[in-house]
Amino acid sequence: MDAVTLAIANQRLAAVAEEMGVVLGRTALSPNIKERRDFSCAVFDARGNLVAQAAHIPVHLGSTPLSVRAAIASVPLGPGDVAVLNDPFAGGTHLPDVTVVAPVFLPAARRPFAYVANRAHHADIGGMAPGSMPLATSIFQEGFRLPPVRLIAGGRPQPEVLSLFLANTRVREEREGDLMAQWAALRVGMDRLGALVTRTGGVRRLARQMAALQTYSAALMRASLARIPPGVYRARDLLDDDGLGTERIPIAVAIAIGRGKARVDFTGSASQTRGPVNANFAVTRSAVLYVFTALAPEPIPPNEGLAWPLRIVAPEGSIVHARFPAAVAGGNVETSQRIVDVLLRALARALPARIPAASAGTMNNLALGGVIEGRSFAYYETLAGGAGAGPGGAGLSAVHTHMTNTMNTPVEALEAYYPLRVRRQAVRRGSGGRGRHRGGDGVVRELEFLAPAEVSLLAERRRIPPYGLAGGEAGAPGRDLLIRGGRARRIAAKASFSVEVGDRLRIETPGGGGFGRPRRRR
Amino acid sequence: MIGVDTGGTFTDLVALVGGRIRVAKLHSTRDDPGRAVRDGLRALAIDRRTAGLHYGTTVATNALLERRGARVVLVTTAGFEDVIEIGRQVRPSLYDLEPRRPPPLVPRTRRLGVAERILADGRVERRLDRRAVVRLVEAVLRRRPDAVAVSLLHSYAAPRHERLIGRALAARGVHLTLSHRLVREHREYERTATVVVNAYVGPAMTRHLGTLARAASGGLRVMQSSGGLVTARTAAAEPVRTILSGPAGGVVGAVAAARRAGLGPIVTLDMGGTSTDVSLVEGRLAYRAETSIDGLPVRVPALDIHTVGAGGGSLARLDAGGALRVGPESAGADPGPACYGRGTGPTVTDANLVLGRLVETEFLGGALRVDRGRAVAAIAPLARRLGRSIEDAAAGIVRVATATMERAVRVITIERGHDPRDFTLVAFGGAGGAHAAELAADLGLARVYVPRHPGLLSAWGVLAAETIRDFTVTLRAVEPTQAAVGRHFRRLERTVAREVRREALARRVLERALDVRYVGQAYEVQVPYGAGWRAAFRRRHAALFGHADARRPLEVVALRVRVRGGARRPPDDPLPRRARRPSSIATRRVVFPEGSAPTAVYRRADLAVGWAVRGPVIVCEYSATTVVPPGWRLHVDRTAGLVLERT
Repeated sequence: MDAVTLAIANQRLAAVAEEMGVVLGRTALSPNIKERRDFSCAVFDARGNLVAQAAHIPVHLGSTPLSVRAAIASVPLGPGDVAVLNDPFAGGTHLPDVTVVAPVFLPAARRPFAYVANRAHHADIGGMAPGSMPLATSIFQEGFRLPPVRLIAGGRPQPEVLSLFLANTRVREEREGDLMAQWAALRVGMDRLGALVTRTGGVRRLARQMAALQTYSAALMRASLARIPPGVYRARDLLDDDGLGTERIPIAVAIAIGRGKARVDFTGSASQTRGPVNANFAVTRSAVLYVFTALAPEPIPPNEGLAWPLRIVAPEGSIVHARFPAAVAGGNVETSQRIVDVLLRALARALPARIPAASAGTMNNLALGGVIEGRSFAYYETLAGGAGAGPGGAGLSAVHTHMTNTMNTPVEALEAYYPLRVRRQAVRRGSGGRGRHRGGDGVVRELEFLAPAEVSLLAERRRIPPYGLAGGEAGAPGRDLLIRGGRARRIAAKASFSVEVGDRLRIETPGGGGFGRPRRRR
Repeated sequence: MIGVDTGGTFTDLVALVGGRIRVAKLHSTRDDPGRAVRDGLRALAIDRRTAGLHYGTTVATNALLERRGARVVLVTTAGFEDVIEIGRQVRPSLYDLEPRRPPPLVPRTRRLGVAERILADGRVERRLDRRAVVRLVEAVLRRRPDAVAVSLLHSYAAPRHERLIGRALAARGVHLTLSHRLVREHREYERTATVVVNAYVGPAMTRHLGTLARAASGGLRVMQSSGGLVTARTAAAEPVRTILSGPAGGVVGAVAAARRAGLGPIVTLDMGGTSTDVSLVEGRLAYRAETSIDGLPVRVPALDIHTVGAGGGSLARLDAGGALRVGPESAGADPGPACYGRGTGPTVTDANLVLGRLVETEFLGGALRVDRGRAVAAIAPLARRLGRSIEDAAAGIVRVATATMERAVRVITIERGHDPRDFTLVAFGGAGGAHAAELAADLGLARVYVPRHPGLLSAWGVLAAETIRDFTVTLRAVEPTQAAVGRHFRRLERTVAREVRREALARRVLERALDVRYVGQAYEVQVPYGAGWRAAFRRRHAALFGHADARRPLEVVALRVRVRGGARRPPDDPLPRRARRPSSIATRRVVFPEGSAPTAVYRRADLAVGWAVRGPVIVCEYSATTVVPPGWRLHVDRTAGLVLERT
């Protein structure tokens, strides 16, 4: 395809995905989707291959296509139909991420010419603790599991499916509003794709452009891989624990680079564990795609073609390719970060002048909920940490790194809508690792509870700190304190517990690793 | 009356003297922006004791962008000193192994926490005691600030602690900004960031306007990002309101021109060297409550202008995947497009020149020499790599640049629930007229309009602008009664009355609006306040998002009051008499998407009102070129504007 048509097709298809994102962000109900923008929207070709995705969160990058394929495989989808799913073992990532998928038809056509989908993190999806990220040992405890089913049929919401879904969540109105917003975003995407067919000059031509875009991304990825010296690069890093007694869980990788391709082999990683830090394959794939996309010298349109030059080997039943019925809530948010750390550590051997030290390596997930004056509330957020320093300079402080980029909730919004008071919100000074370039600092957030609540904490890098590189020192590991009656005690970073009025929870997030040998002090 | 627009390259002046227009275009003087203005006033030979000056300035913007602002001390609630450093905890680019954010404008050592606490509903949890204030003032002054910013948690709900600190710091010779006075809205990061930017640029703006006011003793008003003017005194106290005023003059000028021409709803297109600004105006100017500059949120009303990185100087290249990229890299003003003589990379301007759409002899009335040979040489390597002719490659560059602009126009029309077919594209700025017709065709816009003096439109807009003051207060009330809302408006309007007295406004108009959302949503929709505000909200929500629900409860998040007035409609510049049938200065071969065609070239000054012609035609003037492709018709309307319509 010629260079001009390709550039224009890229602009137009990306615009469709972006516009879906605008609609979803504006119409959703829950702060997690609206304020923190924990969602993504994408366009797929007739076979379910990713064509364009609005960039919001990298952890969705490699995983949404698997949802679409699962939906196509298990539900016959006609005009006006929408499938919904969240099952991590059938196209999902972890249960709170709810994905909707719709085919796009031309009038009177028998087969769809495209699909649109979006995925949003719902603040609660049932299970044993508010926020649905408990210290669980199986998927059944984590929440309501939904294989691909039809949520909308012929343009009409299916009341049975909807009521089944809502009955299994804690804040129904919010869930219903968010789901309807997801549907609204799909409708806009369908409209825009329909119009695009006319502008492009027919379905065939659009299909050719969709295919050419994937070839284009693949070419960009190959060009990027060709800049890495050929060889096999190995690394290993550890998860602190699974929250249920298994400690120092290894993730190992061997990256073989050559002839514009990469083989990423996780053989040697730990077996899946009892606690909820198992990553399913979709999550591992996202982490790999993220690292190689970030490594590319120029922006690569996020589509299926990215993955063509990459081969991922992840043994089934391992921590990076968990089997049913493993608990997976933390795989998406925690293990995904560690996979990135391992990949970058391996690539640092190939590209020592380009790869930064480890960043915080955790999303510091905090989910809580309860009932106040007969009404339930559920609240979820993630806290930033320090970025690893790199060859280019010091790491940023107080910033989300790698697999997430969700905003914090403003203190003034949080206090107005939840029975919480923020006592401190600060940069955690000195937590970045020393080095020629200093690692970024983490943050301190201290919350006081104004009502009894159930709290789940899911965080990492409390024991094994983010590594430094090229002689730089490691960042400070995080710590978590519960302050009751004026007495502070450390608590586990993966825990579900109850709090009383007046209790305070203080979370100190890890700093990033330093880069280069620190100057000696006299 | 005189309108002044300070741009990066030129400072333009438009003066109304005895019903006649006088104009001056001078090179901007970056070291002292006031010098070009004073020289311009001299050149126009106007008695400056009587002339009121309307002034569009980039002094505040440049002080921020170049980090040459004041030494600021920031006062916050204890425990929240790092709010400006943490921000919203996100990185600007997603796929970047070493993300960067500009460092905070105030370093940690100059951020002081004070022991006090107000709650979301305005109750005081911890009172600010007098001794703490005394100690705070000492600590502030020890740090020798030029400016002090104060932003306490929940100050929008209860400003009394900020007032106490404000009183203690008044008369200490520092530029002082209190968050509840500047941005009385919730969300601590956005509010504090705005207050800090204000303090950071405050002293420089105060000095600059003080000097200029002496040069223009007939009264000085300054353009804000909202497209409205304020007195120099207000602009010095709240300079953050001018931070995005650069493109505002052009939009106001375009609206004034469109109104005279009777055009209805418009999309403005201001194509510059490195970027293109577009905005939508349907009846009245559209605003945003928040914009950002250099990665910092600025929560003051600004015209809703969308910018994309494609302009005349944007560089084209073939990437490793085989797609043509145009921008965001730009040759800028220096070295500029290859045809200007210094640059070597192929730009959009070079492509237009190669295609015959720009006329080498007519740049700045012939004052700027351009070299077509250099443009061809710059594009040749790209053409070779594409395996195409030089003209094909040039046409590709123009198409990709147009597609980027198209995406910008889509964002402000289709994505916000408007049908582009109802709009006229008003093109100004140097290169807009060369792309406007193709862009309009791609989006189905009804017509293109190029106003008179497109290169002076910003100064014209500053001249014609009205005075605007905006006031806001956060309310956050679920389904409030009409009486309650009315009570809050009355309270807000008492402040408004005090403030507005200083603006000395003739013919004052007060507009009330509400920021409304469904309970639980995080973003608000602004609707005019009146008995039907609930229905108005649902209509707007449905237009924007495709659905509305009459049963879902509403939350009024904020009240807004805008005071407008003082605009004097400048008389039309009398139209010079011209030959009825202009003669073309040349006929040349021009490449269009449909193929090449012999094309007549006219000078705009030769065109008479009422004259019409079929495309292809090119119209040249001092700092702009308009391309009328085949299949389009051009006529000169009664305001001497160029109207392009499809035949």
